[in-house]
Amino acid sequence: MNVAQFNLYEEEFHPSPLMHIWLEFKRSHFALIGFAILLLFCAIAILAPLLAPYDPNVQNTNAILLPPAWEGNGSIAHIFGTDTLGRDVFSRTLYGCQVTFGSSIFLVLIAATIGVALGTLAGMKKGIKSSVLNHLLDSLMAIPTLLVAIIIVAILGTGLWNSMWAIILVLIPQFVHQTRTFVREEMKKDYILLDKLDGASSPRIFWSSILPGMFELLVVQSTLALSVAIIDISALGFLNLGAQSPVVELGASLSQSLEVAYTAPWLVALPGLCIFLMVLSINIVGEGLRTALRNRLIH
Amino acid sequence: MPLLDIKNLTIEIDTGSEFVKALDKVSLTVERGEIRALVGESGSGKSLIVSAIIGAVPDHWVITADRLTWKGQNLLAMSNEQRRVIMRREIAVVFQDPTSSLDPSATLRAQLEESIPEEFLDKGMFWKRNKQRREIAIGLMHKVGIKNHEACMQRYPHEIATDIAQKFMIAMALVSEPELLIADDSTRSMESTTKNQILRLLSGLTETKNLSILFISHDLLAISSMAHTMTVLYCGQTVESGKVQDLHNRPMHPYTKALLDSAPSFQINLPPKSHLVSLQGTIPTLKHLPIGCRLGPRCPNARKECVKVPEQRMVHQHSYSCHFPLHLPIDEQLEKDQ
Amino acid sequence: MINLLLRYINLMVVTITILVIISFSLAYMFPGDTLTNISGIVPQSEEQRMALEAAFKLDRSIFVQFWFYLDNLVSGDWGVSFSSQVSLLDEISTAFPATLELIIYALLISIFIGIPIGFIGGIWHHKPFDFGVVTFSVVSYSFPVFWLALIFITIFCLQLGYLPLSGRVNFLYEIPHNSGFILWDILVADTPNKKDAFADALRHLILPTASIAVVTTAIFIRFTRRSIMDEMRKGYIDAAKSRGFTTKQIFFKHGLRNSLLPIIPLMALQISTLMTNAMVVETIFSWPGIGNWLIQAIYQRDYPAIRIGMLVVSVFVVTFTITIEFISRAFDPARDKFERGAV
Repeated sequence: MNVAQFNLYEEEFHPSPLMHIWLEFKRSHFALIGFAILLLFCAIAILAPLLAPYDPNVQNTNAILLPPAWEGNGSIAHIFGTDTLGRDVFSRTLYGCQVTFGSSIFLVLIAATIGVALGTLAGMKKGIKSSVLNHLLDSLMAIPTLLVAIIIVAILGTGLWNSMWAIILVLIPQFVHQTRTFVREEMKKDYILLDKLDGASSPRIFWSSILPGMFELLVVQSTLALSVAIIDISALGFLNLGAQSPVVELGASLSQSLEVAYTAPWLVALPGLCIFLMVLSINIVGEGLRTALRNRLIH
Repeated sequence: MPLLDIKNLTIEIDTGSEFVKALDKVSLTVERGEIRALVGESGSGKSLIVSAIIGAVPDHWVITADRLTWKGQNLLAMSNEQRRVIMRREIAVVFQDPTSSLDPSATLRAQLEESIPEEFLDKGMFWKRNKQRREIAIGLMHKVGIKNHEACMQRYPHEIATDIAQKFMIAMALVSEPELLIADDSTRSMESTTKNQILRLLSGLTETKNLSILFISHDLLAISSMAHTMTVLYCGQTVESGKVQDLHNRPMHPYTKALLDSAPSFQINLPPKSHLVSLQGTIPTLKHLPIGCRLGPRCPNARKECVKVPEQRMVHQHSYSCHFPLHLPIDEQLEKDQ
Repeated sequence: MINLLLRYINLMVVTITILVIISFSLAYMFPGDTLTNISGIVPQSEEQRMALEAAFKLDRSIFVQFWFYLDNLVSGDWGVSFSSQVSLLDEISTAFPATLELIIYALLISIFIGIPIGFIGGIWHHKPFDFGVVTFSVVSYSFPVFWLALIFITIFCLQLGYLPLSGRVNFLYEIPHNSGFILWDILVADTPNKKDAFADALRHLILPTASIAVVTTAIFIRFTRRSIMDEMRKGYIDAAKSRGFTTKQIFFKHGLRNSLLPIIPLMALQISTLMTNAMVVETIFSWPGIGNWLIQAIYQRDYPAIRIGMLVVSVFVVTFTITIEFISRAFDPARDKFERGAV
């Protein structure tokens, strides 16, 4: 009976949830800049040996404490100058970024995997076991992070690997706590009940129903953990409890430059600036992600 | 002169990529002592009209209207100060969910007493004024039908039942003795006995205090029992408007007819096991608004002319916006074309 | 209310017990001689070793040892430091107040500067002031605290020479040790030049406190801003606006209370971060606090000191956090279920 209906509904473009997040994320210029810096550091972390002009540990006694190339008596051969032992600061910075950034990413991955696994177990099972685990972790969270690191280093000794274990131990409780809360909440919801009624086993419920929903929480949590990891690894290096020579690490370089801070301020500025930029870019990207996640529900 | 006069109100909202006309030339009036019902599905823009009246529309949205006046004063041209004075004393709003309209960390008594306007209290020592505040508060609670006021007053919002909470919201609205009460879907999730209580309360207030009510809902049964006039809204456009009796007996717009038909209690001679009548399709979303009359894609009577927005025409205080209203015969020529 | 109190006391007792157990077992986990790790004394001869072992009950079962340890802790016999051979109780009671002073002042600054700025930024969000607030907080929060301290030193001590580099007060002023809080001690002391000493102590305090306070202020700003932004979007704010109240009235009557309550526990948790940052800053400024003491302890492998020091610090943090959380829950009428604010 009706006259030809106009097709008033245009081609529908429904982006997937991931695309939504990316589109929202792109809208903030700051987030994109932060993301670019982050990619830069990733590139440095991977390509440092190729990019560095000199070996970071080679000492050149002819060129001690040269200022950076843009100062009066600097030379272009050493762009960022040299330190007290004549080592090229630019190469040391690149290698330092590789160590600091690379080890932080590595340990966040491990902490996240362990933390999520423990948290899910605690969340999906009920009873005394999970409550005991929770109390244990709350106690662990009460000890300031540096203190835990000190204790681990006291037990195991100094060095990059041991300080990494220390920081992993510090980061795990956060992941466990968040995952446990999230899983507990989801288990109460109806769509999990439907899965159970369908006869799904617990691992299956976790993989196909809970894990996809946890993805965003994990990403946000990981960016936070990454910024904490970088600061803690470099703090431990600064206190000489972490990476030891010949491993070049930004915090350790910072502590070595303290003695000559008056005559060579660039030695204090540069490693710290790198750490600062790393953490800043991660925080900006983290903020951008969080805002994107919050806003995509509005549209 | 009507209390509230809205003519051709258009609100364009920002969907992130473009501006969309969420309300398109909406008109309604409320006279003194009148209960006007505003009917429409979810998504038709009813709450937007309320926001426009009370001034809660975000600044970057565009509001245009031929007239948006309260007692003759133009609401659009007013400063925030004047708007607030009006909202304080003359207009009151009751929102949909009572529990979320109350401060979760303050007792009910505190919230009610803080809303009592200063002008009602005598000048005196502050303990006398507090006592007076209490008396006014108790009086109001009795008026809306909350009998054991003591138990209620010292509780927190999450500790009382929803129907008592809604009556409390009405008490909060009445505290400043307004001239217009806007009830934004306030009986939505209520069961029938409570709903009837509230409706009786509201219509009683109209008679005793000459209070005008703008009652927003999609519950036709409630409306037809107590409202004097009705405006039907579809997807941001006023579709039909007039006395409730007229709309009931002689609906002129296909949408109004579909609405009335879909409530089985309105059809006395519906044979058992017959199909429930409804319009096919669903209300369009903001991103896909049809051009012209927005009922177009769903309307059984739609023709080519419906791509143009129909004008509002009036027949004995009963207005409608349709190119092919139900009371005019369909052109036989057009029928032959099919 | 009693239920709540019991629940929190229970939580505190369980957590502290776990911490004591960890501290106890550290003696066995640290490398080196267990006896030295517990007592701090290196036995010089075989008889001394046997005597010490008997004294510290090392020849009995583990439970007896644990009980003995607990007993000692409570009575104040914390052993001696391995490197200095001074009683640990004395060393800690001198060092801890110094750290507390730093932390308390930093916390006060963060509360009285951070929270109002967060509120203002949150209420007028996406306006220019808020933009500055967010930028400041993200940048400050990303600063590694030791780098910030080094920059302060480079600028204010080395280049400009305004502020001193280390210590709490110029050693020419002799302030007798009273409470351990330097400003209080100066005020109650009998020495001449009180005003000068006070000003000098203040100058010593500025840089370390500022270094710690910057990060914590940034965190408080973030929490407060997010909390007030979420609150102002809620239904009862619209309802109050429809009754004709101004934004200012609504904020002070309703917004303030409802946005502060969920974030107080979160802010209490920051004491842990404050402690960590204080420890690092103390080494840079040679501030004689417990952080510096612990880090020197690990350089010197002073295991007894580390054990007890860790226990003292953790117990303090736990007590503080749980107390604040209990107070905020007890005074909050609106929540009878367990809920935490989110950032």
